[in-house]
Amino acid sequence: MTVDISERQQDGVVIFAKRECETCQMVEPVFGQIADNLPIVIYTQDDPTFPSCVAAIDDTSLESSFSFDIEAVPTLVRMKDGKEIARTYGWNRHDWETITGLKALGEGLPDMRPGCGSKSREPGVHDALRAKYGKLDYKSRQIRLGEWDDDIEVCFDRGFSDGLPVVPPTDLRILRMLEGTTRKPDEIIGDVPPNLSPITVEKVAINAVMAGCRPEYMPVVLSALEAALDPLFTMHGLLCTTCFSGPIVVVNGPIAREIGMNSGINCLGQGNRANATIGRALQLIIRNVGGGRPGELDRAVLGGPGKYTFCFAEDESDPTWMPLSVARGIGRDKNAVTLFQGDGIQGFLDQRSRTPEELTKSLAMSLLAVGHPKLCEFTNAMLVLVPEHYAIFREAGWDRGRITEELHRAMVRPGKDVIQGAHGVGEGIDRKRVDEMVNKFWPEGLLIVQAGGQAGLFSAICAGWTGGRFRNESKPVTREITI
Amino acid sequence: MRYGVSFRDPTAESASALRDRVAPLETVGGKTIALMDIGKMRGDEFIDRLEQLCAGRGIKTLRYKKPTNTRVAPREMIKDIAENCDAVIIALSDCGSCTSCSTHDLNDLDKKGLAGVSVLTTEFRQAFESQKASIGLDGAAVYVAHPLQNRTTAELHRWAEAAVDEILQMIARDQSKPKMRETA
Repeated sequence: MTVDISERQQDGVVIFAKRECETCQMVEPVFGQIADNLPIVIYTQDDPTFPSCVAAIDDTSLESSFSFDIEAVPTLVRMKDGKEIARTYGWNRHDWETITGLKALGEGLPDMRPGCGSKSREPGVHDALRAKYGKLDYKSRQIRLGEWDDDIEVCFDRGFSDGLPVVPPTDLRILRMLEGTTRKPDEIIGDVPPNLSPITVEKVAINAVMAGCRPEYMPVVLSALEAALDPLFTMHGLLCTTCFSGPIVVVNGPIAREIGMNSGINCLGQGNRANATIGRALQLIIRNVGGGRPGELDRAVLGGPGKYTFCFAEDESDPTWMPLSVARGIGRDKNAVTLFQGDGIQGFLDQRSRTPEELTKSLAMSLLAVGHPKLCEFTNAMLVLVPEHYAIFREAGWDRGRITEELHRAMVRPGKDVIQGAHGVGEGIDRKRVDEMVNKFWPEGLLIVQAGGQAGLFSAICAGWTGGRFRNESKPVTREITI
Repeated sequence: MRYGVSFRDPTAESASALRDRVAPLETVGGKTIALMDIGKMRGDEFIDRLEQLCAGRGIKTLRYKKPTNTRVAPREMIKDIAENCDAVIIALSDCGSCTSCSTHDLNDLDKKGLAGVSVLTTEFRQAFESQKASIGLDGAAVYVAHPLQNRTTAELHRWAEAAVDEILQMIARDQSKPKMRETA
């Protein structure tokens, strides 16, 4: 209890009440009865003129209500030697008489009547009171603004933004964000490149606030970060690269639906808070904690809009489709994130194919263009297959495994066609491979995700980063989300 | 200065909370220095002498005067200075509002790539520190004595003479007189 215990409170009773509570109004005469016999302090939560029979202390700030952890009004607290020894809430004559040691309280009143909720427990209020009056132990440096400063502009000025306004990470917002995870604020998640700065859960929460996340997104943000910091993901190189790429986050499992992620219409586009802010939080962490700022260590020659955020959920509603996370070793109905090092979208338009064979050939033609038509085993790729395209495969009985296998097979070409210099183009694979049959991607290098609206024969190809040419050194990473 | 809201640092805190200011020019030679009068009484007398001292060193200056010391500089003035000058000297703050506003001016010009320095009286050292902390700029300052309003013009001129080297050091590494082209 942090409030000062006044002399009157040392041995006596403390009552919390509010005018808008009918029970409090009903027992107002009881307050007077107690005041005639015992030292009494009454805190009023809404109207300092209530009750009229005994002078009340204005607690409209709710500081004392918070300090006494009041959940309902009226609450009667018995103090002895400055310490609480008993309390009751609502009106119950027996309890009130026992606690005060007085008889015949509230004659004519019913024996009992429940009270009302404390104003300090109204939605959102308790968090705010915790931030204001509670004990916070944040380790992050406090930045105090001038009285007239615009907090959003300050975030821009200090370089905390990706170019769009950020939500200023006040103590209250951080506190609420931390409620979204059971992990302790001082737990270190890893070292964030390029500066390899250690990051705590608290710093993740701060950047998630800035990105606009809701607290329930925290498990996804934390797992996405853990995946990004897996050495196999090579986030360091991905950030510093001159290429376009950044992390593309695919979310699987019930959590995607619980937090309202979009896996349907326009799921790779704007308009969904979870999709937009989870990917953005990861990018803000790389920027703010890792120090990865464009023009400094982020050396992308062009970059891409996906570097603001690129995050979506897979559509798992079709039971014939094996979700990406399951294909990558996570149990069914488990929550998972997959991070893929990828670029923006290359549209795949095919409204003519009727059979899986036709569609496979057609898709292969577009997939061969990833990076450069003559580069092979040089990048990975992600294919976002829309429902109408998948339906062509499904109706022929093709599942994920078959589709993947057939696509790889359709992309095998004679080395002579893709070596450097072939067909008058300098770019290409090593001339030594002239007599080989060459795959476009590593066998594990084509990731297929099913997502998108129910109408439209327009799938999407996301080219992978050039780091993918080091087959065993740089890979997409899938991680189960721990709640 | 009174504080408003506060929030937490999202960075790794491996660097100062303040942003580095634009680095001083290599040399004043061939550069144009803005002399921004913040519009506070008596500051112009200090700047008059500063202008003469710069001219004596062959340093090109342009004079600007804010309509009032109680507001930040008009956007057009900031744009004009940024387009026509390479560094800025802002003078002379001897009150709370002028310290706050002129520090914002210093920040606005810094963001446009101009090395700058603010001249204030010693009484407002803490106010400048507070304002630059809340803005987040590690701004440069040179202090002269306080109070100034009861000084004579001659005294203010002497202050300018005493401060000019330090002021120029804040905006250029080499303040020596630009070399004159030798004639054949």
